[in-house]
Amino acid sequence: MNIASIKADFRDRVCEQIELQPQGQERFLVKTPFRFEDGDHFIITLKRDADGWILSDEANTIMHLSYWLDTDAIASGNRKQIVDSSLSAFSVENREGELVIPVVGDGFGDALFNFVQALTKVTDISFLSREIVRSTFMEDLTAFLKSKVPPNRIEFDWRDNQKDPTGKYTADFRINHMKRPIFLYGVPGEDKMRDAQISLLTFEKWGLKFQSIVVFEDLLSLNRKPLARFTDVVGKTFSDFEQDNRERLGNLLDEALQEAQL
Amino acid sequence: MPTLIQLSDAEIDSLIREPKNTPSNLFPLTKLIERDKHKRRDYGVASLSGNEFVIAVRQSTLDTLNFSAILGYKMPGYNTVFRLRRYNGKHEHTNSIERTKLDDFHIHTATERYQLRGLREDFFAEVTARHWNLDSALRCLLEDCGFDPPPPAAQTLLFGPTTQ
Repeated sequence: MNIASIKADFRDRVCEQIELQPQGQERFLVKTPFRFEDGDHFIITLKRDADGWILSDEANTIMHLSYWLDTDAIASGNRKQIVDSSLSAFSVENREGELVIPVVGDGFGDALFNFVQALTKVTDISFLSREIVRSTFMEDLTAFLKSKVPPNRIEFDWRDNQKDPTGKYTADFRINHMKRPIFLYGVPGEDKMRDAQISLLTFEKWGLKFQSIVVFEDLLSLNRKPLARFTDVVGKTFSDFEQDNRERLGNLLDEALQEAQL
Repeated sequence: MPTLIQLSDAEIDSLIREPKNTPSNLFPLTKLIERDKHKRRDYGVASLSGNEFVIAVRQSTLDTLNFSAILGYKMPGYNTVFRLRRYNGKHEHTNSIERTKLDDFHIHTATERYQLRGLREDFFAEVTARHWNLDSALRCLLEDCGFDPPPPAAQTLLFGPTTQ
């Protein structure tokens, strides 16, 4: 296919407002009306690689997401699953940050159609907020703590290596270098609440000196009896991880970290 | 349901102008971390008022004209950064309220009116001729946003601004 035919196929399969701008040999910028949520347009190039024509985002999409998201958050966990499934659904490959779709035969328009859909789906993860964030509660709590506590003072999935080499009893986060380290848990549901309770009681039995903090995803959704038992063994609790409690937790950590330095 | 305005135009302007210390390790831009085919680094910024800011630098390794130098404000209690200013490379952008389209180097600025519509705070952008690469974009950010000491002098340009 020549360039005029490719442009016609793009317009026929995707939309009329598509332009092709030459950028060197066998390389074109594909200008489309499709945009990120900040008004910047998707970057799409049509170029030849060893196996034929491809459409590439020139590694722009993930870089763009990093303006709003810690891209660690899309390298693992639920957000990664969303990204991976969005890409695979439209046969798009992630080549170390560069999103690419090979053009099969003369299917230029089909490739662009799929590519735009994949980019749109991937960028949608930056909308993950309160409605969906329930499933990313632990990731968000982790990111919050990373932003508040110096890296040399926080351990993740801590266990007592001497008393518990297999890691049966753990703390989600251990904030250290203080008289009594803080064991902090995120509790999204009852299973986790039970596990945290067993761990805390075991730490008590071992005679460890510690303070405990628990952040519930939604305390009101939990059954009262197991909740009552749990709150008997926990120090400080936060009933949810909404704005007010984020501030309170942040202040509490600031104070604890400062006191430890005195 | 009321629309959430995180910061008003006056607050945004005040935060942009607020005196800030230039991170001592900002220049030269040689210590960026490469990942996912782009270079990046975030620099914490202190101010006398105690407000916390961040300068975020991004640059594609496949297209050096695709970059961003961002001034963000760490809102107390929030886990995300409010982007006050973003100095971008050369690419297409459309302002949805003004219905203007541009295709050049540009500067994003946070506005109240875009927040009111539930859009990204730094949606609005204007074309600029003041920067032409990441280094000059970063210098413009320092000049515009209350940084002290002043940014290093521009390198002598033998052939004028780069264009693509």
